[in-house]
Amino acid sequence: MRPPLWRPVFRPLNPSSCCSRNLLSPRIHSPRKPVVAPCTSPFSTTARLGKRSKGKANAADPRVTAIRYHLQHPLTPRPLHFSRTRYLRHWTIHRAWMLFLRKRRRAEELELERQYESMRAACEHLRLMDDNGMTVPPAEAGGQGADPGTLGPRGKEVGRLYRGAMRKVGIWGSVPVEYARAQVDFPSREGWNHGWTR
Amino acid sequence: MALRDLSLRTASLFGRNARPAVHAVCPSFCRNASLEAVELETASSLEVPPPPVEAAQNFDPIARSRARRLRKKPLPPSRYQFRPPKYYRGPLHPHQPPPVSDPASRLFQPGPFSLPRLEQTYQTTIAPDLLTLTYQHYPYGFKHPKVTQRLREWTGDSPYFKGRPLRGPRGSSSLRLLTPPRTWRNVPEITKVVVHTMVPEAQENSAHLHVAGMVVQAMTNVRAQTHKSRSNVVSWGLRKDKYVSVTADVEREDTFHFLSKLVDVVLPKIKEWKGVSGTSGDGSGNISFGLTPDQVALFPEIEVNYDSYPPKMIPGCHITVQTSATNDRDALLLLQSIGIPFYGKLKD
Repeated sequence: MRPPLWRPVFRPLNPSSCCSRNLLSPRIHSPRKPVVAPCTSPFSTTARLGKRSKGKANAADPRVTAIRYHLQHPLTPRPLHFSRTRYLRHWTIHRAWMLFLRKRRRAEELELERQYESMRAACEHLRLMDDNGMTVPPAEAGGQGADPGTLGPRGKEVGRLYRGAMRKVGIWGSVPVEYARAQVDFPSREGWNHGWTR
Repeated sequence: MALRDLSLRTASLFGRNARPAVHAVCPSFCRNASLEAVELETASSLEVPPPPVEAAQNFDPIARSRARRLRKKPLPPSRYQFRPPKYYRGPLHPHQPPPVSDPASRLFQPGPFSLPRLEQTYQTTIAPDLLTLTYQHYPYGFKHPKVTQRLREWTGDSPYFKGRPLRGPRGSSSLRLLTPPRTWRNVPEITKVVVHTMVPEAQENSAHLHVAGMVVQAMTNVRAQTHKSRSNVVSWGLRKDKYVSVTADVEREDTFHFLSKLVDVVLPKIKEWKGVSGTSGDGSGNISFGLTPDQVALFPEIEVNYDSYPPKMIPGCHITVQTSATNDRDALLLLQSIGIPFYGKLKD
């Protein structure tokens, strides 16, 4: 079922005058006496519009009809059927693509792991550092268990920065909206919109 | 499957001194071997030594095909296609489906076809920053104590406490997800977005449902699914087993496209919008918010041919962002860094 999505603007004067004339049939041509058809329609170039019907509310919106048509339309592609060599080509390309994705994922993970390890080493260094910047043996430092705030035998002077960092004050829900900028390949020409106001 | 057979046959033909090219063709199903196989071979196949003389002299394809015909075991036809089993019948069944990454699998999804900008941003900026923000340090050698029993026991003198099942945690009936210590492997990421629209008017006129489905489909690039109402709710005018809602599960690269469209195009155009409520979230890392019909109409796909939708039938929708975070605090931080604003008191 293919409903008319649009209606032609041109409406023929009357259906008989347009459609009944057979273009292929030879016209009987008499130059001396032209055939004058009796005037059956009013003098107008367009057809008369009929009386407006009352049942417009029940008529389906053509937009809805079009949406229904496109929702129903099956667009399932045919399944792939390849010969042996062509399947082999596709399989090779697929394997290469999977290997590429795997390598990319692996590289991202390794990069994150590298950052994690260096961050861990830095935190451990902060934990063992006293106020003079000297490293104390691990037995004298605080933060031995799961709680980073516990103090060691040397008291507050060891790992002061570490305890402050691990309190995580102002971390949760603190990302400003300006942080989320879509990354682009190059910076803009101006670099900053100086006329911007909130 | 045909390929596996092919490689097996070829390998058995050349016996033990198989050429390295054959090794490369061999599918690498064990994970460790494939990591080494990533390297492209430096030597080309032209430099490979020819097959041994005996194999070349004994090679008689006509006799082989005759023997194969006598044994009633011809080669599989060239258009042979392996069809995986339609239903999974368990791990002990001999007929096992191929892995999902295999194109022959019924669950195979091709792609990704694009590398969205938001995904690149996440990989290069957001994930390291989230890791740094939420990192909790434990001294070297620290072992986390194992939590064996999280349910509460019934303590008291009553004899009825003896055989009772354990109690849930205080204040809720179900256990909350455990949050493991943050490592580089469990940085929260977006796993899925569900766009949901409920159109109760569809019970009288199905046009509402169809328009809603088309709108959701255009927004998300995912085929919309319809759902029936499960029960009668008189106050909402719901009748049982009537189609009332439409959802679309956005996964993989489509999530990034959808979210970046939402954050960069739609949300900035909304007037007088405070943001997402800071108390949204289900406690296990899924955060949802809603859009009104006129906000939905701001999506570029709706906006460009706004005239093809009946304006009164454009629905509002609920958007649920599912993350791999195990609590709302981490999920909220992730969504904030993606660019979704929150207002009010933030959860947790």
